[in-house]
Amino acid sequence: MTNDEPPTTAETGGRTLSRLGGMGLQRIGGLLGAIVIVGFVFAVWSDWLFLKPGNLAVMIRLMGVLGIIGFGLLVVLLVGEIDLSFSALAVLSAVVMGKFWVEFGWPIYVAILLAFAVAIGVGLFNSFFVNIVRVPSFIVTLGSNTLVFGFTLLVSRNTPILAQELPPDPEEWQLRGGDYVDAAEYTFFRALASNYALPGGFPLQVIWMAGFAIVFGVLLSRGVFGFRLKAIGGNEQAALLAKIPVRRYKTMAFVICACMAAVGGLLDFSFISQVQPNQGGTYLFPVFTAVIVGGASLAGGRGTVSGTLLGALLLAVISNGLGLNATGAWVQQMWLGTVTIAAVVLDQWARSRQRGESLGAGLQDLMVRFTRMNSRR
Amino acid sequence: MTAPATSELSGEGIVIEGLRKRYGDTIALAGLDLTAQPGEILGIAGPNGSGKSTMVKTLAGEVVADEGSVLLDGTERTAEELAGEVTIVHQEPQVFLNLTVAENLLVGREGGKLLTRRIDASETDLLADMGLSAHTDTALEYLPLAAQQRTEIARALAQEAHIFLFDEPNSALTEEESEDLFRRMHDLADSGCVVILVSHRLHELVVHADRVGMIIDGQCRVILQGDDLTEERVARELVVGVARGAAGDGETVDRDAETSRSEGEDGSVALRLSGWMHREGGFTDIDMSVGVGEIVAISGVEGSGARALVHSLAGFAPATGSLRVGVGGDSETNGDARSVRAATAQVGFVGANRAENLFFNLSVGENLLARLSTDICDRLGLLHPRTLRDAAEHLADQFRVKAGSVDDPMGSLSGGNQQKVAIGAATATRPRILVLEEPTRGVDVGSKSEIYRLLRQYADPESQLGLPDMEGHGEAVVLYCTEDAEIFEVADRVYVIAQGRISGELNLSDYDDVESFAADRVRLEAGG
Repeated sequence: MTNDEPPTTAETGGRTLSRLGGMGLQRIGGLLGAIVIVGFVFAVWSDWLFLKPGNLAVMIRLMGVLGIIGFGLLVVLLVGEIDLSFSALAVLSAVVMGKFWVEFGWPIYVAILLAFAVAIGVGLFNSFFVNIVRVPSFIVTLGSNTLVFGFTLLVSRNTPILAQELPPDPEEWQLRGGDYVDAAEYTFFRALASNYALPGGFPLQVIWMAGFAIVFGVLLSRGVFGFRLKAIGGNEQAALLAKIPVRRYKTMAFVICACMAAVGGLLDFSFISQVQPNQGGTYLFPVFTAVIVGGASLAGGRGTVSGTLLGALLLAVISNGLGLNATGAWVQQMWLGTVTIAAVVLDQWARSRQRGESLGAGLQDLMVRFTRMNSRR
Repeated sequence: MTAPATSELSGEGIVIEGLRKRYGDTIALAGLDLTAQPGEILGIAGPNGSGKSTMVKTLAGEVVADEGSVLLDGTERTAEELAGEVTIVHQEPQVFLNLTVAENLLVGREGGKLLTRRIDASETDLLADMGLSAHTDTALEYLPLAAQQRTEIARALAQEAHIFLFDEPNSALTEEESEDLFRRMHDLADSGCVVILVSHRLHELVVHADRVGMIIDGQCRVILQGDDLTEERVARELVVGVARGAAGDGETVDRDAETSRSEGEDGSVALRLSGWMHREGGFTDIDMSVGVGEIVAISGVEGSGARALVHSLAGFAPATGSLRVGVGGDSETNGDARSVRAATAQVGFVGANRAENLFFNLSVGENLLARLSTDICDRLGLLHPRTLRDAAEHLADQFRVKAGSVDDPMGSLSGGNQQKVAIGAATATRPRILVLEEPTRGVDVGSKSEIYRLLRQYADPESQLGLPDMEGHGEAVVLYCTEDAEIFEVADRVYVIAQGRISGELNLSDYDDVESFAADRVRLEAGG
């Protein structure tokens, strides 16, 4: 009786996830609305250049990268952890693959496997420190992000790796120098994310994204896997009492996130046939923003694939639209920051309205949860 | 101890008038009246769920009562004013662990605008009185709990507080530390402060309090003082109060002679422990067995090892020795991690704290199925909404969970229903042994009797609780419980743990009334 206080706001905060992947129609509608409005503004601003198929293809490609990497991050957020190392890892896996394939001349399949082995290794590294040493994942992955970046510079000697087809004429090859790869392997590699495959010049990356979206969507909304991730992210203690193998799921989450980063990195490499080793941080914030805008909770246990897709699309629209209107890099950065904060504030506002509270209470609630997450151990 | 410069309270002290508080369907306080005078120690006793904690929280300003008022010095105070004027001391001191004793004393009164000042002479004296001078510059995290509590008291005294509420302050202290704490309570009272002591330990109340108020069902029923203030009398009042509450519910204690089979009758043992020993020293040499169909309670004061023992049965506390689960002992462990995991896989556990048992980001139905998801998925590991819904509704139905739909968020249920969901989730896989820690803590009386009924049903080997297509069935129920009325109502036997060992075993069928049982149990609890 005396202990029978109504659950705290932190406890009731999570909307029920049982219905249709758990995304409120309200939120999907809100995101779609935002995408349409922002898209329209850019279309008018750019004198309809924005809606040209060529530009749409570029935009959709960006969405593909954000989405693919975002699914991995979503899994980590669902289980109640955080990963800051995926963006650096995307570049490292491409660098490792390029190094072995282009410079050492190893078969492409082996090089790809090596890239994934590195990714899995980083995932296991992160989960080791989170599960066994019990360091908050924020700290672990902040460190591994830098470690991975340093390792990338070491492996690549900070020089870009360029994949070029071996020209038919050996003399030209002698003349130009540099490293060349086997023509068949080159064709295969470029075809992975090529933009000739689909009508309208749409890159194949979109198909990859759609495939992963289906796999992750089913796993997360219908699978035992997703159910348990949400349970652990919602209440780790209760998950332990329910004898859910918490550590195993956290390990899987970190490894999956790392592997998705590798997929994103390799597809990018395939598309532009070049890796820039010093671009490690490029995807960190856009992907984070996409996933959070898509409704995933930093406190764990909440988030969907459909939301992540829409978040990725919104980010791609904003990024592409601003790039197209040539307003300079600083505008992009400022927009990104604004959107990130606005998304979280809007989310809190929507949820606190549902509970009939003030925005301040909702934000405080988020802070409490975030602090708790980082001080859990 | 030098009396702090308290602004003297008038003779009225603290007056609580007609305090009422509801949480949803639950009435926590039902018109509580109570007065505490300066210079006395007022004891507060009451069973769990009686409204004690709500009263404490109201006085601390954490909870705003629906009706009624709290007067200090004859004037009514708001929750905010109370929070500033009433010092609560409980087992988890509200201090800054990262700061030193002196810094803790100065927090909020640091002096100058730019630089903090050192403690002054009177504050140095205060620390000396509190036995803290040796630690003035030590960060609190390196000091024992007792010293942290003393720092908390010292800080309150430095802020000229004169109302102290001790809420089970010594449950984690050693005997010596407790004695010291009580001495300080008497000092506080002698210096004109109001001192209120909330405790489960009847002995302490009787020895240290001048008067003891009995809070039962959200009201102060009786105030014992003088010759009436004896342990027996307090225990009797508590039990009578609880029994009245239970009787009012219309549910009678039906300890069916048939259901109280004990071990040996048909030789079937559902759980046996021998030489069972906690790796961290909480308990040693436990030999006990639980027969098929039995409900066995394990009881003991905080720190006796009883709680750890119950945790170890479910594999949540490391222990060595022999543990056998299930008729025929098909899984026995000698304590290594792998065999413990195998044995305790047959044990379903519900912890004491609902916040630790339930997923508040999931729906009621998902909570019911949380332990089960791998058993009802298809070969690809996918869950089908219809299967889920059927299973969840089946469980919600069996456990009479009052929810609009299994899709409702967990937080929308009342405490009693949340607890039913937690127990329902634990039984879904039909573990042989169901282990519960304080199964009705914070649960209203109506849900309590339903939970008891469900536990009795689960212990029955014919039990059909859980999902129909699950293998196996419940064989026995083990509870960690310290409430006499609850043990009397639901258990067949009770093992009482004191200082990490079984100090005795009581058979509930030997008792006709709660009072005589309670007297025996309390005697064993104190160590035999």
